Amino acid sequence: MLVGVLEPRAGKVEIYNTPISNEVEAKSQIGYVPEEVVLLDSLTPREFLEFTASIRRLDTSTVNSRLERFASAFEFKQYFDTPIAALSMGNKQKVAILAAMLHDPKLLILDEPLIGLDARSSKILKELITFHAKKGGAVIFSTHIMEVAEKLCTRVGIINKGKMVGEGTVDDLRKLVRSAEGSLEDIFLKVTEQEAGMQDIIKALEEE
Amino acid sequence: MKFSELWRFSSTVYKEVSFQSIFSLRAGSGLPQSGRRDIKQLVRSAKFNTLISKLVTSVFLAIFAITVFIPILFSDMGPPIPREIAIPGGISAFLTVVLFLIVFMGLQMSTSFVSSKIVDVLSPLPLSKRDISRIVFLCFVRIFDIPLVSAVVVFLAVFFFIGGSILGGIVSLVGIVVTEIFALTLTVLLAKFFYAKVARAGGRSIFQTILRFMFMLVWIIPTFAAYFVVNFAREIVIAFATLTQGLASVSQTIVLIYPFSYGFLVSYAAFLSKIDYLALSLSVVASAAYVLLAYYCLRWVTGTVREIGTGAVTRSAREIVKDTIIKPQIPWVGIIRKDIQVASRSPSYASLFLLPVVQTVVLAVTFSSFSEIGPATALGLLTGISLLTLLLPPTLLSIEGLASAYTKHLPLRKRTLIAAKTLVATTTYIVSIIILTAVAFFIGKDFAAIAIFGIIHTFSVAAAIMLEITILLRKFWKEGFAVGNIYSRITTYIMILIPGYIFAGIPMALAFLSFFLLPAFVLPVFLVAAAVEFALMTLVVLYQK
Repeated sequence: MLVGVLEPRAGKVEIYNTPISNEVEAKSQIGYVPEEVVLLDSLTPREFLEFTASIRRLDTSTVNSRLERFASAFEFKQYFDTPIAALSMGNKQKVAILAAMLHDPKLLILDEPLIGLDARSSKILKELITFHAKKGGAVIFSTHIMEVAEKLCTRVGIINKGKMVGEGTVDDLRKLVRSAEGSLEDIFLKVTEQEAGMQDIIKALEEE
Repeated sequence: MKFSELWRFSSTVYKEVSFQSIFSLRAGSGLPQSGRRDIKQLVRSAKFNTLISKLVTSVFLAIFAITVFIPILFSDMGPPIPREIAIPGGISAFLTVVLFLIVFMGLQMSTSFVSSKIVDVLSPLPLSKRDISRIVFLCFVRIFDIPLVSAVVVFLAVFFFIGGSILGGIVSLVGIVVTEIFALTLTVLLAKFFYAKVARAGGRSIFQTILRFMFMLVWIIPTFAAYFVVNFAREIVIAFATLTQGLASVSQTIVLIYPFSYGFLVSYAAFLSKIDYLALSLSVVASAAYVLLAYYCLRWVTGTVREIGTGAVTRSAREIVKDTIIKPQIPWVGIIRKDIQVASRSPSYASLFLLPVVQTVVLAVTFSSFSEIGPATALGLLTGISLLTLLLPPTLLSIEGLASAYTKHLPLRKRTLIAAKTLVATTTYIVSIIILTAVAFFIGKDFAAIAIFGIIHTFSVAAAIMLEITILLRKFWKEGFAVGNIYSRITTYIMILIPGYIFAGIPMALAFLSFFLLPAFVLPVFLVAAAVEFALMTLVVLYQK
């Protein structure tokens, strides 16, 4: 909804005091990495980034200095003129990450951004996310890997069957499930009521 | 594994390849954004389209096969060329048409075949390498099954119907099979080349973009070949017969050249009483040599097709990258640049940009028969061009659907998008008019009417394009511009075109009306109508957020 893929049926959403009905202004403040990286496959990363930078009306010198830094950090320079269709999943993900960060957005929306990335690139992205937050930016980060969410996020929201069933810091969530210990994964299973019967399932698998 | 099982498995793989050939290359990776119902509809449509394509090719071949034998059946309808030349000429023409029609029909699907990496899906299954290779090959054969069979059946049926001998039939069969193997070889060669050098070629220079468009032209123009084959079948046969006569008079070695070797051999075996034994011997030797060549071609095709299945040709060479500098433009220029880049690597989109060239070739042929080009003729020509131009906006907008899950979050204004697409579509119209004017000038016709009415009508066409895009944006801005959305309901598509056609037709209608009522005011009426439309639509577009 924030990025304009879904239409709101009711209520009001604002991004830094800009209502999302003001599409262009709202979207200018967002950098987005979709879960399924569907880019313009026939273009090269250079052509694709030129296109997104044009739509965002970015200044040539500023954008190129940022791009140089990010491309070096992700070791992506050598793929700049290779068609996106010919890139690996991880490299496609890097193109989406570069495009999301080019304009230094206030809000980053990252949907499973670590999928396909190698360990080095994952580490760099996590650091970039941390720097972005330290600078005062916001990150909405979606993941199914609880360890990543636990380490990276200051606030965690748990969505079950389309509804937010828990929200807050990891400690807040522990209080919610009345457990002083346990990982975010354990909390998740409790909040989504999937913990019951889990031991039986594991036991049955073991016996087989 | 039994052949029947392999054939059955190859059917599943073939369905996927045909699906990709119709939609993936056109819609990029936009399918995941479509609903389940839409995708089912697309799958059905892909099956239908590929079947129709095969049947149409077969019908064209049948029509042509009958045309070939007209000079034999009805001597008064034939060319003023001796029978012993007309027959080999006709048969050679048929073999050539079989060769090219099969190549053209198979080219788009074969390109998808090259890109699909079929073996990636098959290899984890408990199948031996040999069986996988066979499935891949059978899948390739399925692309051509109906036309391959129908070329043989139709030709032989007509051949025996007019009283051809058994020996002639056998030679014909050999000739057609050799031709079909050559066609498959040419298809694989072109598909491999297209995929490696065009669809997956990188490169950033203008020269490389122009080069890709040139490749596209080679790829697209032949799709019009079917039209020419059917409409000019008799002329083609006569041209071949004349060519045969011309070459035969110069040298008997014509019988050594494919497809004339088979043309002569079939004629000697079936129809001709006077036999030139030297020519017969030479045609036998040449035909045998072509059979041998076809055998090696078949081996190459089977080997290459299996290799293609493993994705060996899909690994594109990495470009040498000097820097990471990008050059952002203002948004509407960015959109146009992106559209041209996408089109230079996608045949269906490239055909849009190349349409004026093809259209002008057709119009240039018609031109020569006109005694003069006055306002009425000019308006007629402009009507034809504008009808074709107004088909572009929906397809141009569908480029935006290629990665809409991503691009939807970009801060893009509707009016920017309308301006960019209108400029691209209007440019194709302007190019058509420039070419048309130039052709009229060079063949010594009066070009003023085309130029003046063309320039004025450009404003009306631009307004019609803006109208179509505005309607499309209102309808699909939220759900996305994927090909599946725009084309899934043909009625929607037509309902978008009709207002565009009406808009472009209003100045024409008023000009015609004025021609009868106030002949002196044709041009001013035309100008005012086009200007009002343009001003009106510009205001509407400026109002868009």
